[in-house]
Amino acid sequence: MANINLQMAWRNIWRNKLRSSVVIAAITVGLFGGLAASGIMKGMVMDMIDNALENTVSHIQIHDEHFIDNSEVVFLMKNSNILVQKINSEPEVEAVCERTKAFGMASTASKALGVMINGIEPDKEKKVTKIYTKLTDSLSSYFTTEKKNRILISQKLADKLNAKVKSKIILTFQDYDGNLTGASFKVEGIFKTQNAMFDEQNVFVRKKDLDRLLNMPANTSHEIAVLLKDYHKTPEVVDKLKKITSYHIEAWNKIDPYLELTTSLTGFMLLIFMTVILLALGFAIVNTMLMVILERTKELGMIMAIGMNKRKVFIMIMQETTLLTLTGGILGILVSIIFITYFGKAGIDISGVAQGIEALGYSSVMYPQLSLTDYLQVIVMVLLTGIISSIFPTIRAIKMKPAEAVRMD
Amino acid sequence: MSIIQIESLKKTYRETEVEVHAVNGIDLSFEAGEFAAIVGPSGSGKTTLLNLIGGLDSPTEGKIVINNTNISNLSASQIIDFRLWNIGFVFQAYNLIPVLTAKENVEFIMHLQGRKKQEREQRTKDLLTSVGLGNRLNSRPSQLSGGQQQRVAVARALASKPKFVLADEPTANLDSKSTENLLDIMEKLNREENITFIFSTHDARVVKKAHRVITIEDGKVVSDERK
Repeated sequence: MANINLQMAWRNIWRNKLRSSVVIAAITVGLFGGLAASGIMKGMVMDMIDNALENTVSHIQIHDEHFIDNSEVVFLMKNSNILVQKINSEPEVEAVCERTKAFGMASTASKALGVMINGIEPDKEKKVTKIYTKLTDSLSSYFTTEKKNRILISQKLADKLNAKVKSKIILTFQDYDGNLTGASFKVEGIFKTQNAMFDEQNVFVRKKDLDRLLNMPANTSHEIAVLLKDYHKTPEVVDKLKKITSYHIEAWNKIDPYLELTTSLTGFMLLIFMTVILLALGFAIVNTMLMVILERTKELGMIMAIGMNKRKVFIMIMQETTLLTLTGGILGILVSIIFITYFGKAGIDISGVAQGIEALGYSSVMYPQLSLTDYLQVIVMVLLTGIISSIFPTIRAIKMKPAEAVRMD
Repeated sequence: MSIIQIESLKKTYRETEVEVHAVNGIDLSFEAGEFAAIVGPSGSGKTTLLNLIGGLDSPTEGKIVINNTNISNLSASQIIDFRLWNIGFVFQAYNLIPVLTAKENVEFIMHLQGRKKQEREQRTKDLLTSVGLGNRLNSRPSQLSGGQQQRVAVARALASKPKFVLADEPTANLDSKSTENLLDIMEKLNREENITFIFSTHDARVVKKAHRVITIEDGKVVSDERK
């Protein structure tokens, strides 16, 4: 029975080729629109998150508890070198680096701006963050000379301070003992990430230079950044590290709650998008099927007269509706997969139309992406739409009296 | 013994203020193997009577007993099942499912009955051959003439192995040659396989062939002749 029913449903769909094609095209275009928009949005968000994790946040950060609220030089972690070694020996860990951090003033002859001075160990830092790949011009380098007091600043800061490579910048800050101190640094490189806010607020110098100027005790630092092999394992590693140290450990989603909010929001937006689109399509499908049933009143009456019971009529109409919906749904999903896979690799450059998008931390080249779960979720939603849309027309069909239906002109 | 027993059957329709007595007290019985025509002018109640016998409509009064089952006592879903297993239908038009081939149309009813594939296929082939369409198994209704379509409908009506076949003006849309042909086939099935046919008709050609002619006027039987 199942077989002939499906065959009938399929052939019935193509009885009115134009009408069914229009409905299928509407579903295809609707789903493609929704999926492509969701894919682009998700791609942008994931790209932003990747950028944030790669350039600034890492997967896990460790600080002295007081340093979180009040980034003062005195709230440091002792024996941080031993802690770094311990963390490094965890199998899930890709790389670890430590930093000294101090708020200060960066000034040139023309201007002075407040910045966070990051004292880094370039070789280890390179394994954790990707700032070294973000240098803007060929004159820039990432701490290649061993000379003292070199500084890396962002393009944005360079513009504001009117500085370029080899310019002198004076950094002023409070040292460990509370005394105001400072030194002249020579610009070694200029970088640019996709996060304008981060760029404006951060400069990088060698940790040993900053430690010396700050008068930091030996083997101490303010921040340890950990990069994992797989960021999905962050919660497990956080738990592990809590057993090793009593310092404050934070996962990326706690360091920057905005990242996690955006991730969950994208999933939610896909759901909303698809619900609205499928709801609209649902009405079109109901309308089409009501027309179908009206057209086939006599035929349905005859089928019921010869002995097809209401349950089977119900299933027959439902199969036809669902098959119609699913045909459009699968086409729409296929077109979307092709679009998202192609542009997920090739990218869509929107820099021409979306100036300022980088200031928000998004990349101007979008790489749309959707996961298998997203597609499966949409298929289930399409299937549900088909089934729900068939209920009303089906009820109409089974309410018919065969005697009247057969004789109707 | 009679396979259909009709006692004091009444069917009243209420159209606005006026009551219409479409069937107004009919007593009839049909034996197995009859080839009977119910005739009468338009509005005489012959289609209503046929619908009542076929369980497509329920009587206002009286009862219809088919093979010892009072069909007025059956529930809506029981009556559908009863029709499926006991009654074959041939309608005036729109008789076949247009998206199915001749063979699939005949098989369809056996699908509903849940018969096995082998039995379905053999019986379909036999039936379509017996109505002279053994070579048109895979034609869709739109590829068949009106007469051929009605012959497929007869084959389908017999496919479920019903107790009797009800045909509501089966020749109304056919030319004389197709009518002749269809009647010959039905008569042959009646004669050789003892299949009971009951028609409603006002086609003189059908009346001529019938072995029993029941005339209805104003919802009542006015004559019942056996030839």
